[in-house]
Amino acid sequence: MLDPRYAWLRRLIALAVVLGIWEAVGRAGFLNPLFAPSPSRIWAALVELFADGRIWPHLEATFSAALGGLALGIVVGVLLGVAAALMPLVAELLEPVMSVLNAIPRVILAPLFVIWLGIGIASKIALSFILVAVLIFFTVFTGIRQVDRKLVERVVSLGGNRLALVRHVYLPSVTAWVLGNLKVAVGFAFTGACVGEFVAATHGLGYLLSFAQSTYNSALMFALILLILVVVMLIFVIAGRLERHLLRWN
Amino acid sequence: MGEGSFVSLVGPSGSGKSSLLRAVIGLQQPLSGTVETVLGPSEIGLLFQDDALLPWKTARNNVALGLTLNGMERGKTLVEADTWLERLGLAGFGDRFPRQLSGGQRKRVALAQVLARRPKLILMDEPFASLDAIVRARVVRDVVALVEGGGISVLLVTHDLEEALTLSDDVYLLSQGPRARITKHYHVPIPRPRDPVHSRAHPDFAALYQRLWADLSDAVDHRVEAA
Repeated sequence: MLDPRYAWLRRLIALAVVLGIWEAVGRAGFLNPLFAPSPSRIWAALVELFADGRIWPHLEATFSAALGGLALGIVVGVLLGVAAALMPLVAELLEPVMSVLNAIPRVILAPLFVIWLGIGIASKIALSFILVAVLIFFTVFTGIRQVDRKLVERVVSLGGNRLALVRHVYLPSVTAWVLGNLKVAVGFAFTGACVGEFVAATHGLGYLLSFAQSTYNSALMFALILLILVVVMLIFVIAGRLERHLLRWN
Repeated sequence: MGEGSFVSLVGPSGSGKSSLLRAVIGLQQPLSGTVETVLGPSEIGLLFQDDALLPWKTARNNVALGLTLNGMERGKTLVEADTWLERLGLAGFGDRFPRQLSGGQRKRVALAQVLARRPKLILMDEPFASLDAIVRARVVRDVVALVEGGGISVLLVTHDLEEALTLSDDVYLLSQGPRARITKHYHVPIPRPRDPVHSRAHPDFAALYQRLWADLSDAVDHRVEAA
């Protein structure tokens, strides 16, 4: 029987074994470093990025774009979702547009944003924003329509008016749904920022990735992928904490 | 209904018992006729089968909400909420969320929420149906004590004939819907204050129960024949 308490240890060992084999095979000369550099080379590339400090402006660019798009997307998504849920006319007009935006891979809009907004940070924020906003819109819109009728009736029977309903029923519900989708939204936000940087940029992790690709620098590429992975996982941990704290009633 | 009286409505499913309660509180418009009440909305409390506590508010804040919406000042509502939780045997549970409470405890919180507003009338729709027998007996006993002590009128909708008879001063039987109407009225002469368990031993109880049961069976049989 596997003791579930030690799952992390078994996973860690497995990872070490895989990396060990990878390293050994690479050193033995069985892997072409052009395609699959050994873990030690990737690590060296990562250390170098930080050692000479040239990574910071890129990290800052990607973070600013992703977090800016995330914040804007959540605010606009919530506002539109609430408006559509409470006003039938808004829902009628907005739902088809949002459905189309939801159905298409929204990253295809990246080149358009570059033409409209230039190769600066604005076009990356816009792409992050559109990815997040559509997700949050549907979360809030369907969420509000599924609010427990009994809770609404309860507050009404206690003398609550529309404002009290929003404050005591709708707002906490919306918060719960948004938080429940926060991790997905974070992933979307970084996707938007990085893809935007692929398309046209002068800074950012996506830009560096695209640079690594054009120079066939696969060690740098792996290092960047690893870095993005760590960054997003860190944000996931923070989002998870926030979620657990604010949804402790759940 | 007179002040401080306990009235039950029994009848087959679909006779509109719940709709009647919802019409009294204004959650539903009656198809015809009018609801006449001398009480304002804040003087009427509701207790449904579903406790409908807000899951994101603690027990204390759920009770306090009812008072806040009545216009009471925030600090006072919390003190008052604790007093009522204590009165219902929930001292020390104020910080728990509904998820962390048992069915019986949630029912008590819902009851505290209603009683804290000092209503003159409480409308109850199968309020105890979801509780298991022992918890139910205890909650019912406490409800009766608090309602009798506070001079609160109750309009109870129930499927449980025993419950109707042990708790009520008057029981009304509704006919099968649509267009259900009151067909029978029974006065229950068991004296107050009552203990719901001991009330079953009252000499008139068995006879009343049998009459009510026979009349209700008739009402249901009519439905079967009509179908």
